[in-house]
Amino acid sequence: MSNLEPNEPHVGVYICHCGGNISDVIDVKRVATELGLHPNVVISREFPFMCSDAGQKLVIEDIRSGKINRVVIAACSPMLHELTFRKTLQRAALNPFLYEHVNIREQASWVHKGDHEGATQKAIRLARAGVEKILLQDELEEIQAKATKHVLVIGGGPAGLKAALNMAARNLRVTLVEKSSRLGGHLHELDTLYPSGESASALLAKLLAQVNESPLITVVVGTTVTAWDGFVGNFTATLSSGATVNAGAVIMATGYDHVIPAGGEYNYGGDPRVTTLPKLIEHLKTSAGKPLVWNGVPVKSVAFIHCVGSRQTEGVHAPQADGKVNDYCSRVCCTAALHSINVLKARQPDLDIYDLYRDIRTYGRGHEAIYEQASKNGVLFFRFTEDAQPEIREHTVVVKDILTWGEEVEIPADLVVLVTGIKQGAVGELIDMMKLPVSSDRFLQEAHPKLRPVEVANNGFFLAGNCQAPMDLVESSAAAGAAASKIAALLSKDYIPLDPYVARIDSEKCTGCEACIPECSYTGALFMNEGTKKAEVNAALCKGCGACVAVCAPRALDLAGWSIAQMEAMVDAMVTEVPA
Amino acid sequence: MSTVESPDTNAPKILIITTIASSYTGANTVGQARAQYAPNTYIMRVPDPVMFPEDFYLRCFEKGFSGIIIMSSGSDCPYEGAYGRLSARVGRVYLTMREKGIPTNRLKLTTVCTVCKHAFLKEIDDMQKVVREQAA
Amino acid sequence: MKYDTLVIGAGIAGLQAALDLAEQGRQVVLVEKNPSIGGRMISLSKVYPTLDCASCITTPRMASVAHHPNITTLTYTEVKQVIAQPDGTYHAHISKKPRFIEEDKCIGCKRCEEVCPVYIRDDFEHNLGAKKAISIPFTNAIPQFPVLTPDQCTWCGACANACPVDCIDYLQEPRDIFVEVGAVLVATGFELTPFNAKPQYGGGVLPNVITSLQGERLLAPHGPFGRVLRPSDGKVPDSIAFVQCAGSRDASLGVPYCSRVCCMYAIKQAMLLSGSLPTADITIYYMDIRAFGKGYEAFYQNAKAMGINFVKAKVGRIRAGEDGNVFLRIERQEESSQPEEMNHDLVILSLGMKPQWNPKTLAWDMETDLDGFVKSPDAPMDPATTTCAGVYACGTATGPKDIVDTIIEAGNAAMVVGNHLARGNA
Repeated sequence: MSNLEPNEPHVGVYICHCGGNISDVIDVKRVATELGLHPNVVISREFPFMCSDAGQKLVIEDIRSGKINRVVIAACSPMLHELTFRKTLQRAALNPFLYEHVNIREQASWVHKGDHEGATQKAIRLARAGVEKILLQDELEEIQAKATKHVLVIGGGPAGLKAALNMAARNLRVTLVEKSSRLGGHLHELDTLYPSGESASALLAKLLAQVNESPLITVVVGTTVTAWDGFVGNFTATLSSGATVNAGAVIMATGYDHVIPAGGEYNYGGDPRVTTLPKLIEHLKTSAGKPLVWNGVPVKSVAFIHCVGSRQTEGVHAPQADGKVNDYCSRVCCTAALHSINVLKARQPDLDIYDLYRDIRTYGRGHEAIYEQASKNGVLFFRFTEDAQPEIREHTVVVKDILTWGEEVEIPADLVVLVTGIKQGAVGELIDMMKLPVSSDRFLQEAHPKLRPVEVANNGFFLAGNCQAPMDLVESSAAAGAAASKIAALLSKDYIPLDPYVARIDSEKCTGCEACIPECSYTGALFMNEGTKKAEVNAALCKGCGACVAVCAPRALDLAGWSIAQMEAMVDAMVTEVPA
Repeated sequence: MSTVESPDTNAPKILIITTIASSYTGANTVGQARAQYAPNTYIMRVPDPVMFPEDFYLRCFEKGFSGIIIMSSGSDCPYEGAYGRLSARVGRVYLTMREKGIPTNRLKLTTVCTVCKHAFLKEIDDMQKVVREQAA
Repeated sequence: MKYDTLVIGAGIAGLQAALDLAEQGRQVVLVEKNPSIGGRMISLSKVYPTLDCASCITTPRMASVAHHPNITTLTYTEVKQVIAQPDGTYHAHISKKPRFIEEDKCIGCKRCEEVCPVYIRDDFEHNLGAKKAISIPFTNAIPQFPVLTPDQCTWCGACANACPVDCIDYLQEPRDIFVEVGAVLVATGFELTPFNAKPQYGGGVLPNVITSLQGERLLAPHGPFGRVLRPSDGKVPDSIAFVQCAGSRDASLGVPYCSRVCCMYAIKQAMLLSGSLPTADITIYYMDIRAFGKGYEAFYQNAKAMGINFVKAKVGRIRAGEDGNVFLRIERQEESSQPEEMNHDLVILSLGMKPQWNPKTLAWDMETDLDGFVKSPDAPMDPATTTCAGVYACGTATGPKDIVDTIIEAGNAAMVVGNHLARGNA
């Protein structure tokens, strides 16, 4: 029948009518006939519905009969049925990647209704291009990376604890590394939690008990990570103790630091009446039920000033250590301040409380009720703008209140509480070591805020809690659970399946010019082999963008399944004339 | 089957390079909406056009494409740094085109999303005008 | 049929949770009452703070769900009953509404839609456009099956004659489906607070006062008009106002809580409007701007720098002006308190979120909180837990939240549901 050698590609081409959707515009018989003339095409058919069982059976029988070993189907969009037909090939025991799907419906018959001849010619050229592409296609195989079923969690605050517990619930071993001497993080500082009012200590005790009970969680306190190696599925962390941990994935749960008002801002550090919200909360925790006494002096009036260290503007606020201001909102401080205000008011109803804010951001579930309660409690609110900061005087605070049309108001204050924001913790060394991406606000950067909100672009790294952005306990817990969920999927099998569409290098052709190396955005994906002086690809880290391919002069690099030779062959087919 | 002979059958050809993430789906959206355009348009789908070396575009012109539209994912691009690299590369292709006397408006780098129906059609329209003018 | 988990609702929360569970090897049955998966998110224009195209982010998720071997998606179906079993599992009764087409035959070719002579209001476009009485719900709907609206169909038979696969079935009846599952995840989402909740705002009466979701459609690249114009006369608006907290933070409306997303979506819509109508004046009347998420404050500051007017004011009343214009009576809360009347071409009410679905309609003991959303008794540490063992909730079913927070909660819910299944409670 055909003059092809058995090991040569034998292509079967199938043109779908889509019940008239294609065949009413495109002359499918002519397309099939024309494609049948191609020297490598041994079968060329048209059929009413290729996606139907009958259509798929046709392909399976042709493969099983040994007549064809490559398949091209011209039909609807590959988004609909490419996977369907890959599975068809699998059922016929043919490598599923030896299949090319040609779109002649969404991108031909449906958009060229008034030009049957033009659409038919286009379909012939597109189908020919499909044949040319599949002739140069290799049998791709799914890449499999080793999956070490052990997770490293860095940071033992609530997010880290919650993440560890979640993973242990799935039989994954966890090593939890905490640099301070105890687990619990900032939860130790808190008194009662908003909006439920439950005790932070009780909650922490419960969490710690669960962690202690779990045989799968190894806790290492007073320890840091000092060296880092490997890639997704198989990382090696060296700890300050000298021990090493082999992990398939890592969760960053490194938390946050409080912003310390800079350079005498609001007389902080100079005036003993000026404190911060975390210090007030600490005081509330240790003085249960008692009226407020500060530095031995009973307090009659308190002024809270919001947005200290948050929502800063260049030129107005003193920069942070890295020379930049904190231009972000710290998210939790409004509600935290109002919650503390309500606690104070409950203890001491006659306490005068003044709240100086820019916007009250009680956004969360149950938060607005806390704001309302504060108003009901008789708290007086004043609103200032970023360019007119309140001023601390001897016994008063002066604020230009825009709620009273810019009037300057002098407020008596025995105590001034600066509602300080939160900032990225001291994780600079980890960021350098692990080459983690950082957002402009210095927090760790997720791969995509919506598509991959708890994953880092570097495969195998996940984010839980405040190391990513300010968030409250509910949100940290959710983030910890979401990160654990991704890891539970990643490490669910004995190997990690990776997309085969990655860069490949023909070391015979590689001249070692190194032009490709700076093109790669993914650390470790493309590198020079010191021994051979040739470029190498780590398929586990390559994302398959092809940026390196473009600059490879000797054409040693290619993207598997999308080689430049394939694309050029398609172009040639597209411009080849069709007999009328 | 009745066929309508079209004056466009031998029209100059336009290559449209689309991304799997965005513009290929955008082209499907145009089809789902049954918007119409001329069949001298050939859509190629790739992970990202950043893969193409500069000479790929020149070769396409040599082989017979009159116009090329690169419909990238722009800021929706899933690959880090790819859009910047792509636009720099296209910039260099323009230089070579100028040297070789190929009008640079025959190559267009643009961004088309999964539902950018109007943008898709407008880009094709614009390029049709360019290739017709030059064919004339 | 037995599955590990029943996920109720195929918006972004249900999609993400179903995918996460499926990736962990769990069998999921995903039930969606609408004819397409994708929820509210698929109808949005662009999303803050990155201004990514919403469809571009949602479509791949929808496709992954549709193709996943571990997920059975049932669209245009409703959960009628969920009954707890003594062994901790649940039996659910699901009802499939008739599309009046045979789904196993339909090829999504739209022939029926093309020949249908009856135009009806397009609910996907929030009534800003029209569609046929038999039509695919929207361009990138999944699945691509048309739905026949029986109330408005004239039964003329044109679609049945045109269908190339003979799949129109005018006699189709609802179909009962019974499933047995180890756990249930409620991801039923939100609906907007009522448009006419404040009659003094003219919602539903004044044609150029529109809802925020209508605003999304006006701005969507595949929206009803393909560009921004106002509904009454097709005029391109020169002056557009957003009224914040139009359905939230108001105890008199039964919505005392903050809906959390309205500040940011209004800022986003304002930015998109200013992009497509560079000469238009855009004003946002607000109480507090709550730009609390990652990158949100910078987004807000950008909007201010772009020239969008932020006016801290209470809007008392909205009435018809001349030539279709809209007058807003406002009381500023800064600078001066003199009531003023502002004239705008188009007004968008930033409506809030209320629960889409009341779980009490089912025979189970899942409680809702005072705000009407599903109660999370174990927040802060376990926000996905409900008052029902083996039943979990995520996304806007447990209170207003934005897409980022919803997707994170969905991931968490998948983890917690998986933990429940792994404990052998099911």
